[in-house]
Amino acid sequence: MAFHVEYLKLNLSKKSIVPMHSSIKKLLIVDDSKVSRMLIRTHILARRPEWMIFETACGEDAIKFVDNELPDYCTMDINMPGISGTDAAERILSKYPSIKIVVFSANIQEVHQNRARSLGSILVAKPVTEKSIALALNYFTDSE
Amino acid sequence: MNAMDTRRFDIEDIFNAINIGLIVVDTDSKVLLWNDWIAKHSNIKETDALDRQLEDVFSEPVSPPFLTALNNTLVHRLPVVLSTALHRSPLPLYNAYEANQPKTRMYQSITITPIQSQLNESCCLIQVADSSTSMKREKILRSHSEILKKEAVTDSLTGICNRRFFDAHYEIAVAEAKRQKHPLSIFMIDIDFFKLYNDHYGHIAGDNIIKQIANTLKSQLSRATDVIARYGGEEFVLIMPHLPREAAEQFAEKLRSAVFNLAIPHVKSHSFNQVTVSIGLCSGIPENDNNPLNKADTALYQAKQNGRNQYICLPLGENFEQ
Amino acid sequence: MSDLSELHIDALTEIFSIGAGRAALSLSEIVGDEVHISVPSVLVINSEEIDSTTLALNGGRFGAVTQHFCGPFNAEAVLLFTEDQALKIVGDMMGSQMSIEEIAEFEHEAMCELGNIILNACLSAMADILHFTLESSLPNYRIASADEVLCRLKENADQPYVMILHIDLSIENRHTAGSLVFLLSSSSLANLVVHIDQFLGSIS
Repeated sequence: MAFHVEYLKLNLSKKSIVPMHSSIKKLLIVDDSKVSRMLIRTHILARRPEWMIFETACGEDAIKFVDNELPDYCTMDINMPGISGTDAAERILSKYPSIKIVVFSANIQEVHQNRARSLGSILVAKPVTEKSIALALNYFTDSE
Repeated sequence: MNAMDTRRFDIEDIFNAINIGLIVVDTDSKVLLWNDWIAKHSNIKETDALDRQLEDVFSEPVSPPFLTALNNTLVHRLPVVLSTALHRSPLPLYNAYEANQPKTRMYQSITITPIQSQLNESCCLIQVADSSTSMKREKILRSHSEILKKEAVTDSLTGICNRRFFDAHYEIAVAEAKRQKHPLSIFMIDIDFFKLYNDHYGHIAGDNIIKQIANTLKSQLSRATDVIARYGGEEFVLIMPHLPREAAEQFAEKLRSAVFNLAIPHVKSHSFNQVTVSIGLCSGIPENDNNPLNKADTALYQAKQNGRNQYICLPLGENFEQ
Repeated sequence: MSDLSELHIDALTEIFSIGAGRAALSLSEIVGDEVHISVPSVLVINSEEIDSTTLALNGGRFGAVTQHFCGPFNAEAVLLFTEDQALKIVGDMMGSQMSIEEIAEFEHEAMCELGNIILNACLSAMADILHFTLESSLPNYRIASADEVLCRLKENADQPYVMILHIDLSIENRHTAGSLVFLLSSSSLANLVVHIDQFLGSIS
């Protein structure tokens, strides 16, 4: 919770210097594991150093964050304390269908793949590696 | 010179004589070894299998969990087991290939272990055992061990628990009552003037009395937690957890009258002319230095002194007035 | 030594969650239904501190699947389920066409496989993410009482550290909890920490 507020402040101050209509995209990482967030952040920044990266540790915080900041993209873990990542993704997408969400999970059983697809999202298998990040980035920037 | 060169037989002969299936595949799951056992049960010759993808060798599909397991071993280099219980028959192998016999698909137990080729490639050894034989063996072993287990704790004359079982159970029951501070009741039950009965009616009749009384006592029990055992000769012991003193005394009386009401003649019994029992009971919450069994024995001695065919109850610990 | 940082534990939890996800995928392929496995907590303690509470196991008898792993660190990994639950899981996995007596016949082999899937998945996730390779023995299954299990864990002087993972397993409608215990020597634990530090160093 604490770090969420911290990042929020940090990035709000950054926001003021970001010009409108730029290629600078905002990505929200939702994962209860700090290590996992670090991993995603590191891999994304290696490929897209200009992006702004935000983090929250649970679905509830993610929903609040999206209301305030409206990111372009989001990576979502499934198993987190509180509501599940898929439920959070569903709520976010029903309100903001333009956001592209990738569900990152080690659990890639068909049920979860189908669920992600039905939400208008995709499921990418953990662990977070260059390969899985490439899949996520392709999905984010596919139609653009 | 290495061990291989000095060996006076061909290792291939071993592979082919061995009574399990052996397949070796390389990283691309191409077959490198296909022993006679596999050839026999798949009806596919070694020459038709070598250098082909394992999945493609068989004319029927291989189960997806098998392929996942094989792939996992190739990637992660960790051994994998596939049990009969969960897979039955992952590979299309059959038990009989005789002309006029129906083919039955073999139940298999499979082990996949990573091995390294001489060129340092990661390969896998797949061992296949026909599990129908091991299933039968397990069944036999299990029933044997159950019989042995039962024999070890049962008194052969009466069919109730033996002293050995009681001693083990007693320790646990007393420790538990101490820990949970719940009342425990222990009954020592002895057939009155049994020696005289034996001398007069003979040993076979004596044994029958012991059996009959064991059955009668046992039939009074209704809780699964109560244990009655033959303690020795004509003496029985009964342990009942969670039974306060008042209920225990009523139960002792129930036991005494059940035996009395059998009305078995005993002309040498000094007082009653029939078979009776004396019962020593101790009841209460056991404390550290208590020995409930000794106390029950003391109570039994008092019941005998008091004229037999009765119970005497001695309290155990301080909180006996439950 | 046993005081790993929060970040170390976080890394291990994430690694084992990935392992659990992989195990669930393999199991779902076998049972043909959704399987859910999660690792709600990871704990590293001195084996003297271990008791039935830290293992989250109540009394009774346990089915224990053991594999010995070696590589940059060596560990004896033991997966524990209560025997009753183990039988129910095996029963569910085999489908309902069998009686409990028949299931008991298969318990040994089936539990070996279940344990093998979970242990391999957790260890291979660790090896992948921390970039090392491990070798392993074949799984071994035995039934033991809670006291026997605890004694064995405590009396292991060569492996004074234990890493305990609580495991939640749901197959169809049945929910089961077990524990995965790694017995580690001090040098193995130190080596593990070195690898986690290297991994963390590469991403921060």
